[in-house]
Amino acid sequence: MKTILLTTAAALGLASAAAAQEVTLQFWDNQQTESGLSEFQQAAVDRFMAENPDITVEVTTIPYPEYQQRLLTAVQGGNAPDIATLDQIWVAAFAQAGAVADLTDFAAGAGLSRDGFFGGAWDSAVVNDRLYGIPFNVDVWQFSFYNQDLLDAAGVAPADLTTFDGLRTAAEALTTDGQFGVGLFGHRGEDTVVVVNSFIFSNGGEVLNAAGECALDEAPAVEAMEYLQDLAQFAPDGILNANSGTMRELFLNGSLAIEFWPALEQPTLQASDINWGFVNGTAGASGTAVGTFGGWNLAVFESSANKEAAQKFIEFMVREDVNGDVVDLIPANVAAAEAFLAENREGPEDILAHLGNAKPRPLSARYLEVAEIQMTLYQDVFSGANVAEAATAACEDIDALN
Amino acid sequence: MSTQNRWLIWIFLAPTMVLMGVLLYYPMIGTVVESFYDTSFISPEPRFVGWAVYEKVWNSRQFPQVVWNSVVWTLGVVLLQNLLGFFVAMLLNQGLPAQGMLRALVLLPFVLPGVVTAILWRFMYDPQLGLINSLMIRLGLVEDNAAWLASSDTAMAAVIFVAVWKGFPFSMLIFLAALQSVDRSQLEAATLDGAGPWRRLIDVTLPAIKPVILVNVVLTLILTFNYFDIVWVMTRGGPQNATHIFPTRIFETGFGQFRFGEAAVYGVFSILILAVLAALYVIVQKTADGRRRTA
Repeated sequence: MKTILLTTAAALGLASAAAAQEVTLQFWDNQQTESGLSEFQQAAVDRFMAENPDITVEVTTIPYPEYQQRLLTAVQGGNAPDIATLDQIWVAAFAQAGAVADLTDFAAGAGLSRDGFFGGAWDSAVVNDRLYGIPFNVDVWQFSFYNQDLLDAAGVAPADLTTFDGLRTAAEALTTDGQFGVGLFGHRGEDTVVVVNSFIFSNGGEVLNAAGECALDEAPAVEAMEYLQDLAQFAPDGILNANSGTMRELFLNGSLAIEFWPALEQPTLQASDINWGFVNGTAGASGTAVGTFGGWNLAVFESSANKEAAQKFIEFMVREDVNGDVVDLIPANVAAAEAFLAENREGPEDILAHLGNAKPRPLSARYLEVAEIQMTLYQDVFSGANVAEAATAACEDIDALN
Repeated sequence: MSTQNRWLIWIFLAPTMVLMGVLLYYPMIGTVVESFYDTSFISPEPRFVGWAVYEKVWNSRQFPQVVWNSVVWTLGVVLLQNLLGFFVAMLLNQGLPAQGMLRALVLLPFVLPGVVTAILWRFMYDPQLGLINSLMIRLGLVEDNAAWLASSDTAMAAVIFVAVWKGFPFSMLIFLAALQSVDRSQLEAATLDGAGPWRRLIDVTLPAIKPVILVNVVLTLILTFNYFDIVWVMTRGGPQNATHIFPTRIFETGFGQFRFGEAAVYGVFSILILAVLAALYVIVQKTADGRRRTA
């Protein structure tokens, strides 16, 4: 009798221990392109589950336009997933809200450090010297993609596009009846913000200075915006309601000579009949084209009951041999990015150089409010307002947020 | 009514009342309470600030613009949608050949989802690739590519036009049903007295369907004021806030900027305006019912 009881107790004990170790993780990601990302991610997730039989990962892929709202609603409603990709510009807000877990100790323990990732991407996950995300993928706004045939017909060399003066001259030469020189856009959206930012950065300007105060009313930023205001005459009509997608349509039908996109645009162009090429942005007074960083970080939610398993999953997803298979932008792991770019993108060295120069957007918990003010400012600029006055008004609004 | 029957009524009503309380009144009251707190995603601990957020919103540059845009949008859509709906209903009430098919064709815009309508029209309005400019240039109505949605002078008119295109079949359906219920003998008597089509419309048809017109107008006022998807998809409230109305502003402030307190204030103003419109609807409906009973 005693033996039976002991055996039963042992069996129950083992069963409950096994049950306690079995973990199901909810992982949310968004999809920006029709690249078959979900299938690739699922293959990687299957590999992770084979390596970790006690962990099950359920992947939810949400279209980009509704991702922010779904995530926010889930957090507010106490239904956040265990892990999710967070846009670089959201991390500070999620950290300040206490929604995501501090990963500083985990990263140190797992040997994940800034050296292994693009510096700007790593910095975007640091809030008050603590790490709240691990960089997952990156890209940079913007590359100037050009239609080689249109450039040839107008006698413009690609190298001309790399300076403020050269781009203006080229845009003028490329603008003819039914054809537009440069794909500037100015709708209320983040793509407008990052493109204008890159011209400001490339002219030596900033959005916020080191003290966190608005720098959009300083000379380099004002000059860059005045330059864009002038350049807009060579852009397609309807700039205030146009976005990067609108410009892509015109570029693909051959009526636009130069479009501004991150490297993410390459697969679309590779599948097209356009004879295309690209240069790394446009250098102003600073002498170097400085892009604006974009990308996503992996974060663990504070509400997760399975933080250790979630961290293990993140460690797997940013591994050199995995990271390139699970992203549709560029892997944030530098070694994985080098292999990914060599295999999938034209001009990998140029892309790496542009990523190396890129600056992040302001790393502030109130970034979204700053960006909204920037959008209003940039729409004023493209409407022909006095740039210095509009920038002063925008800076008053931004500084009032503090 | 016996006491037992009264209890039965309450028992049957209870599920509906609970659902309304949870899904309608709780969020509404929650919004009003939240509007007195400084709360955002990054400051999840609510801090009572009284009327401070109201003051901030009231004194902002956006608020008067949102109010004005909402007035223009609502009145513009309601007026044009009902006029067009009435005109088409009059046409379809004439016993035209293939009337059933015509009615089905007219209803098409109404059955399209709002987001699909907005995307479709966004393409049509495209300055370079859109059908509108292509047609207008061919007809000699414009010379250059007009940027309908990108100019603060034309964006509101452009989105109103789309809302009217989508909404007029709704008004048309209601008007058509009302027109078909007009007493034929009164129309015939008026004709015998020498009244032409215009006089019959003014003196017989319109008085007969006046209650329906009023109910329709108030109903479309409420629906239009609350409309979100067409404006958001077509312009996101731009350019330069020229088409920001209450629903788009609430969405952008709450879900785009994570400023829940401020979004709640816009929500409270929205509730107040809708409450007035709903009261108007109830009054008009009661008046209409009274007239029907008297008739």
